[in-house]
Amino acid sequence: MSFGSGFLHNPDLFPARSAGETWGGRELVLDLPGGPYGFSGLSADQVETALARFGDLRVDTEPAVATSVFRAAAEDFREIDTRGWEYGLDFDFGPASLRLAGIGLAGRLDWRPGLRGALWTPVGEGERFPGIFENFCRVLVAYRLHELGGAVIHGAAVVDGGEAFLFAGRSGAGKSTVSRMALERGMTVLSDDLNALLPSGGNTVLCGLPFTGDLDKADSRARYPLRALLRLEKDTEDRLRPLRRAESAACLLACSPFVNADPGRHAAVLSTLLDLMEGVPAYALRFSLAGGMWSILPEA
Amino acid sequence: MNEDTVLKPAPDVRFRIVDGEAVVVRQKSAEVLVMNEVAARILTLADGIRPIGAWVEILAAEYEVDRGALEQDVLRFAAELAAEGILE
Repeated sequence: MSFGSGFLHNPDLFPARSAGETWGGRELVLDLPGGPYGFSGLSADQVETALARFGDLRVDTEPAVATSVFRAAAEDFREIDTRGWEYGLDFDFGPASLRLAGIGLAGRLDWRPGLRGALWTPVGEGERFPGIFENFCRVLVAYRLHELGGAVIHGAAVVDGGEAFLFAGRSGAGKSTVSRMALERGMTVLSDDLNALLPSGGNTVLCGLPFTGDLDKADSRARYPLRALLRLEKDTEDRLRPLRRAESAACLLACSPFVNADPGRHAAVLSTLLDLMEGVPAYALRFSLAGGMWSILPEA
Repeated sequence: MNEDTVLKPAPDVRFRIVDGEAVVVRQKSAEVLVMNEVAARILTLADGIRPIGAWVEILAAEYEVDRGALEQDVLRFAAELAAEGILE
C-alpha cells in the first residue's frame, strides 16, 4: 500500500510544502521536552480543546520549533472504522522531510532550514481535535528530541528518591501494571506510556510526556536523573539480570517510536541511545504481581 | 547453500556491532534482535562479494577451530539467516 492511501483518498495530492488556508489566527506555545513548540493558524475552539488537555504546559515564550496548522477538506480523508483497529500512522521518510498521515491528519516535518512542522486537518472544533493534535505532537517531539540527542521511549517512568527508573517494553510488556503497582506504593509515575530521555550535563535525565496513557499525567516539566533501565518481562518470580550494552540498546531502539522506523536515521538513533545509556545500569527485570520486585531494584 | 554461495543482508536489514555483538534491525517486521559475537562476525562477512567458503577460512584463522566442523556450522547458520530473511 502506498503512502497515505490508508487514510487519504488522494495521497498523490499531499501538500508538497507547508502552505494552505489556516483555521484561524490563534497561536499556542507548549513547553514540551525539546521545545517550546509553537502552533499557529489555530481556531479559537482548537486552542480551547488543546488547552483542556495540555493547558498546564502553556507558556508565553518564543517557540524553538514552529508548526503551522491548516484546513483540510473532510472529503480528502477516508472514513476509518476504528473498532478493533490498532492505531497507527503512515510515514514517508526522507532525508530532508517526513510526511505522515493518520485519522483526520496529514502532516509534514521539514528540516531545511531547521525543524518545522505543518499539520492539515479537517477538524476545526470539537472533541476530535486534541487527539489529532496529540498524534502529530508525538511525532514532532520524537524527531525534535532526536535532533537534540535525546529520544522518546515507550516505557513507564517511576520516581524513587529523586531519580527515576525507566521500565521499557512494547505493548503488553507490563508498563501499566508496573505503574499501578508503583502508585499503590505512593510513588510518582511520570508516564505509563511515553517518556523522554535527554542528555543533561554528561548525564541522562528522564521526563514524562503528557501523551495518552492509562494513568493521570504527572508534571512533564519535571526531570529526574535516570537511575536504571529495566526491560520488562512478565513472570511468576522477581529477578534481575544485567543487560549487555547491545541488549539495552536493542531494548531502547525497539521502544523508540517513529524514529526507529526511519531508515535514514537508524544509525544515528542507535548512536544516540548508546550515548544516553553510557554509565547507566540496565537490567532485564522479571517481575511478578506479588510486588516483590521493588526490593531487588538497584538503589541510588 | 554451499561454500560458493554469496550472501548479503536483506535490503530491510540494518545492523551495528556493539561490544562484539550485533544489534540487528529488521524494518519490514519492525523487529530488533541481538546476535552473539560469532553471528555478528558472519553478518560483517556477508558482504555480497565473499562466498561462504571465504568466511570459513577467515573464521577458522580467527577462532583456531577445526575447519570441517566450522564449515558445517557456518553453512547451517547461513541457511538459518537466509530462511529468516536476514541474509539473501
